[in-house]
Amino acid sequence: MDPSVFFFWVFAAITVVGALGVITMRQPLHSALFLLLTFLAVAGLFILQHAEFLAAVQVLVYAGGIMVLFLFTIMLVNVRRQAKEPFVNRRAGIAVLAGFFLFLLVGGVLTGPALVKKGPPADPAALKTTVIENSTARVVVPGNSEAVAWGLYRDYLLPFEVASVFLLVAMIGAVVLGKRSLEKFD
Amino acid sequence: MPFPVSDLILIVPELFLTAVALGLLIYATVVSREKEGAIAWMALAALVLTGVLLFVPFSSVTSLPQIGFAGMFAVDKFSLFFKILILAAAAVTILFSLRFIGSSPYPGGEYYCLILLTTVGMLFMVSGVHLVSIYIALELMALSQYVLAGYFKQETKSIEAAAKYFVLGAFSSGVLLYGLSLVYGAARTLTLTGVAQALAASPKAPLFILGIILVACGLFFKIASAPFHVWAPDVYEGAPTPIAAFFAVGPKLAAYAIFARIFYSGFGPGSADWTVIVAASAALTMVVGNVGALMQENVKRLLGYSSIGHAGYALMGFLGYGTDFGLPALMIYLASYALMTLGAFGLVVMLETKGYAGESVDDFNGLARKNPTAAAAMLVFLLSLTGIPPTVGFIGKYYLFTSAMKAGWFWLALLGVLMSAVSLFYYFRIVRAMYLVDGEGELRWKEEPAVSAAVIACLAGTLLFGILPQPLVSWAKACLLN
Amino acid sequence: MNYPIWLIPALPLLGFLLNGLASLLYGAAQAQKRGEEWRKAHPDEGHGHDHGSHEAAHGAHDSHDAHGHDHGHHDTGPMLPWALRLFHGVVGVGTVGLATVLSFGILVPYAKSVMSNVEGARPIVETLYHWIQVGGLSIDIAFRIDALSALMLSFVTFVGTLIHLYSVGYMQAEAGYGRFFAYLNLFMFSMLMLVLANNLPMLFIGWEGVGLCSYLLIGYYYDKDFAAAAGKKAFVTNRVGDFGMVLGIFGILALFGTTDFSFVDMARQQQMASGTPLGVYAVCALLFLGACGKSAQVPLYVWLPDAMAGPTPVSALIHAATMVTAGVYLVARCSAVFLLAPDALTLVAWVGAGTAILAASIGLAQNDIKKVLAYSTVSQLGYMFLACGVGAFAIGMFHVFTHAFFKACLFLGSGSVIHALHHEQDMRAMGGLAKKTPATHLTMLVSALAIAGIVPFAGFFSKDQILGSAFAGGHYILFAVGLVTAGMTAFYMFRLYRMTFSGTYRGTPEQESHIHESPLTMTVPLWILGAGSVLTGFLGLPEVFGKNLMVEFLSPSVGKMHAHEVSHATEYLLMAVSLAVAGAGIFLAFKWYTGQDAKFTPGAAPEDIIASPAAHAFFEKTGTLGKVVANKWNVDEGIEALVLSPFRKIGTFLWRGFDALFIDGLVNASAFMVELTGDLVRFFTTGNVRNYALTFVLGVLGFTLYIWMR
Repeated sequence: MDPSVFFFWVFAAITVVGALGVITMRQPLHSALFLLLTFLAVAGLFILQHAEFLAAVQVLVYAGGIMVLFLFTIMLVNVRRQAKEPFVNRRAGIAVLAGFFLFLLVGGVLTGPALVKKGPPADPAALKTTVIENSTARVVVPGNSEAVAWGLYRDYLLPFEVASVFLLVAMIGAVVLGKRSLEKFD
Repeated sequence: MPFPVSDLILIVPELFLTAVALGLLIYATVVSREKEGAIAWMALAALVLTGVLLFVPFSSVTSLPQIGFAGMFAVDKFSLFFKILILAAAAVTILFSLRFIGSSPYPGGEYYCLILLTTVGMLFMVSGVHLVSIYIALELMALSQYVLAGYFKQETKSIEAAAKYFVLGAFSSGVLLYGLSLVYGAARTLTLTGVAQALAASPKAPLFILGIILVACGLFFKIASAPFHVWAPDVYEGAPTPIAAFFAVGPKLAAYAIFARIFYSGFGPGSADWTVIVAASAALTMVVGNVGALMQENVKRLLGYSSIGHAGYALMGFLGYGTDFGLPALMIYLASYALMTLGAFGLVVMLETKGYAGESVDDFNGLARKNPTAAAAMLVFLLSLTGIPPTVGFIGKYYLFTSAMKAGWFWLALLGVLMSAVSLFYYFRIVRAMYLVDGEGELRWKEEPAVSAAVIACLAGTLLFGILPQPLVSWAKACLLN
Repeated sequence: MNYPIWLIPALPLLGFLLNGLASLLYGAAQAQKRGEEWRKAHPDEGHGHDHGSHEAAHGAHDSHDAHGHDHGHHDTGPMLPWALRLFHGVVGVGTVGLATVLSFGILVPYAKSVMSNVEGARPIVETLYHWIQVGGLSIDIAFRIDALSALMLSFVTFVGTLIHLYSVGYMQAEAGYGRFFAYLNLFMFSMLMLVLANNLPMLFIGWEGVGLCSYLLIGYYYDKDFAAAAGKKAFVTNRVGDFGMVLGIFGILALFGTTDFSFVDMARQQQMASGTPLGVYAVCALLFLGACGKSAQVPLYVWLPDAMAGPTPVSALIHAATMVTAGVYLVARCSAVFLLAPDALTLVAWVGAGTAILAASIGLAQNDIKKVLAYSTVSQLGYMFLACGVGAFAIGMFHVFTHAFFKACLFLGSGSVIHALHHEQDMRAMGGLAKKTPATHLTMLVSALAIAGIVPFAGFFSKDQILGSAFAGGHYILFAVGLVTAGMTAFYMFRLYRMTFSGTYRGTPEQESHIHESPLTMTVPLWILGAGSVLTGFLGLPEVFGKNLMVEFLSPSVGKMHAHEVSHATEYLLMAVSLAVAGAGIFLAFKWYTGQDAKFTPGAAPEDIIASPAAHAFFEKTGTLGKVVANKWNVDEGIEALVLSPFRKIGTFLWRGFDALFIDGLVNASAFMVELTGDLVRFFTTGNVRNYALTFVLGVLGFTLYIWMR
């Protein structure tokens, strides 16, 4: 077996197991750790796709920064109580059934006969080079992070900037909702 | 090709509004609480000025539609139509909020800033012609709304509304994104024109169809159409009333606009199958919204269910895909819906003295004697919501139902008429309370010039376009998608 | 004419605006004053809402057992200052009066031109602007005067003005004087829009407008529970009709491709854009359903008797003379379409006849003077539909016309009686009023003779020709039903007359001393309408007596079914028979109700007090049937058991079922609300949001399956 295929299945399995762990663990801390596992496995998948930069960012930002924040929050809030209500409620049966059917449907669609006209098979290595065209020259830039940079700051500049406003809103929201006191009462 | 800097002129209105929002955020830190009203007025002025600036991109381009930012952003008349309505809705919301926020213990600076930023999100949405730019703008809009819904954070209802809206909104985003990723997998591009070409090449690809269904479901959530509507009544009830008014109009306008854009320019030509889902959802929504409203005691919940019902009517507009009637009918209807819904909410705002008082249908008791003008205005809005001539609601429904009939959906138009008849029952519960029940005790009415002005503007529009609809109709017809 | 038609409805609209504005400004000033007083009286309570006093006040209203009485002079506030009353009166009557003058300025020359050249008579159509345009189809704001609308216009404005004038006197002590006139003017505007409309959507505007005014005016005494309930009943019943009406309009659009009244000509020439016989039948049935709602026909008639909770002038104007005839007008307007579907006409005829006899039989045993007149109105409307159903649309409209005069006169007369007796409506407590209120007595006698169908009063000519048309068309059963109804009508009208005016007064002497004839503003309209009840019949003389002006005038606008001619001898015979039946009814009423008996004791059995021994014997024999009739054939109870309660159950079931399936029940939700203490972590794990998300997943799954299964 092609080692990349083998590793794909390994990482994919870890991803799914990790995700299941996140939603089945009763302790928030355990959930968070499983989430970390998922993040790392996804980073592995990125590497298999030759997206090394993305993999690095995934580990640094998600597995590093965001997970640390999660753990801090969980420890600060100190949630030790277990949720009172039963883990499976009365609707769980319907939910499982619905999920199963949806899984079958989506799976069937994705693995079934693809009626999409195939283009040339995508070459992951091609992601490493980016062609920059302007009125005067045609420049080929090698390298993974460069490709991401060109995509992000040229083609996707507008969504990128909107996303920065989006993050600002998230910050404002956190401050507004998280602030303890209302100054008008002081 | 790096994007030309000259593309910046295409987003001058959005840039301006973002800049003002950030400026107000900073200004709010130095201004004292008593003078926060100034922030509201500045925000209002910014919205008006943005409306004027909308015409800057138009004067700069030679042909419409002008696409900029590497196929991300379009300047066309379709977006102009929706942007004007959205800005107007935001302006009305700010007028509603002046006293509401001023007399509450909550700070005003962030509130108005968030209203402006959610508006920015909507403006980017309606101009988006690339699935990524549409999605990011949608999230900008939605995130600001989650915060606004929970803005009265010491009220359990408000924080509950925010939490529900957030969780379910994230869930719907997941579905939408999954759909978009499937579409990308099938089409290998995210521009709407590219998707349309790919679909035309392989129209029946299961991947496409599944992607289209999931995208539709994600957008149905934003429109609050059944069965993705369950969040709406809770959120409308819990959110501060001016925000509930805004939720009932602004996000829906933007969501309808992107629905039209994605499905007409992206999915339309390749596969018309999606009309059957829209029809199914429309039928379900009309029934659920109108029947649900019958049971409501809380006016905000009632208007929430009513707005679900209206979402069902409006969805009929998409069924006219391929004819000349559907889209203009939808646009006329949305304009009329914005006028009458904002007006009705304005009267609820006025009826509230503080917090959540004045939200029950019983609180309208005897309004006709306490304040006959307000009662008459409410009557007009309710008649319009029911679709009785000569109000603008009738015009909108007339166009929608005829467009559905011309597209061959007779049973759906019939159901629409039936459900309009049902809607009269719950709208007239308010009329009955106002006119035929005696309310006693003190006048809880709060006259407020800002809210009155907004309500009068809505009233004028409701009646004027009801009697003389031609300007609205021809404007909508001039602003169709290219 | 040199002035535009739109001025006619515009004038009452102006009146509505002026009256509304004045009433509003005054009301706001008063409310402010009251608010200040309230604040002074409740200094501690700040802004809170006083629920305690609210409840207490409601309790007081509930204990007030007032079933079906017209309570004027109740004290919601002081009488208005005289200057304001003068303003409301002048504006209210003046605008409508001016509209009447304008109408007749147009009508008289138009009528002349029609009569001089029936074949070439063109309707006057005045288009203001295009209202809605969808793909080549245009709906205009346009007014139309043709023979049919001219006829309606004439009596709507004329009778309307008289009733406005009457209201000046009748309502003068009301605190809501300005509100009343504003509503009444708004009603006139809507009614004129309905009558003058040149297309069905515009007619529908008027249709809904009059419905709204009716609703608001039925509930005029809003603080009386029965008035609010009656308003609700009228509202619900009319929705059923309106649903049919809207679908009927869409049907006309589908059949003819247009909704303006040119479809009538198309139908006459059988030029349908599309459509099958079944389609035409369905459209006619739907339009008739709309007409049944507005014109109170079986099974939608139940609201009209309850509508008597409104002030008496309203009963006269809206619930007798004008609005309730809109259904007949609609059927007559669409007569050419109905003629394409004879089965639909048969339906109309049977419903009309059934309503006529049912309502008349209920009218036999009512003791409330306004209730008798209300059931009589329902019964007479049945006659009108009977006429339309046998294809005699012009005769039906003629009966609409004459009925407007004599029924308005009867209602205003009853109002005058009620006014004289200080809001006593029970006929058992009346009697001997002939001398005390001579003007009322005489005018009511004349109009009672008219409705009973005694020659030469107006009702004779119109009703006799309805029966004649039914007979000539070979509908012998319908004819017999109509004849029996005519007998009943004569009986209950003269029962009313005897109980009210004959004999001696049955109230207390103290009350007797207060009885007075009404002021001039009330008696003058009575005299004029009384004269109308005598004279209007001559406009439509039966063929045997000469030219039938009415039928000839209407012939360009309404259709007529080809009917077998009957010989003159038969026609004379029919007249004699119907006169004899009416005479018998009157005779019986005079014999049984002498008006001479004992004092009225509340709570006595219905007929025990004033009926003669012969009547008692009769009632004993009929026993249960008599009780059922007195209880209005138990229709309200039947509707409750058969229609409303199942609907309520279905509604409840749907609601609960939906809830249980999707929202996990209200119990869970409220428990959830209690548990929710701001602890977000716990919040995310409660059932509710998960169930919402489940709904979402089910929706996605459902749509996906739906697409795949197709």
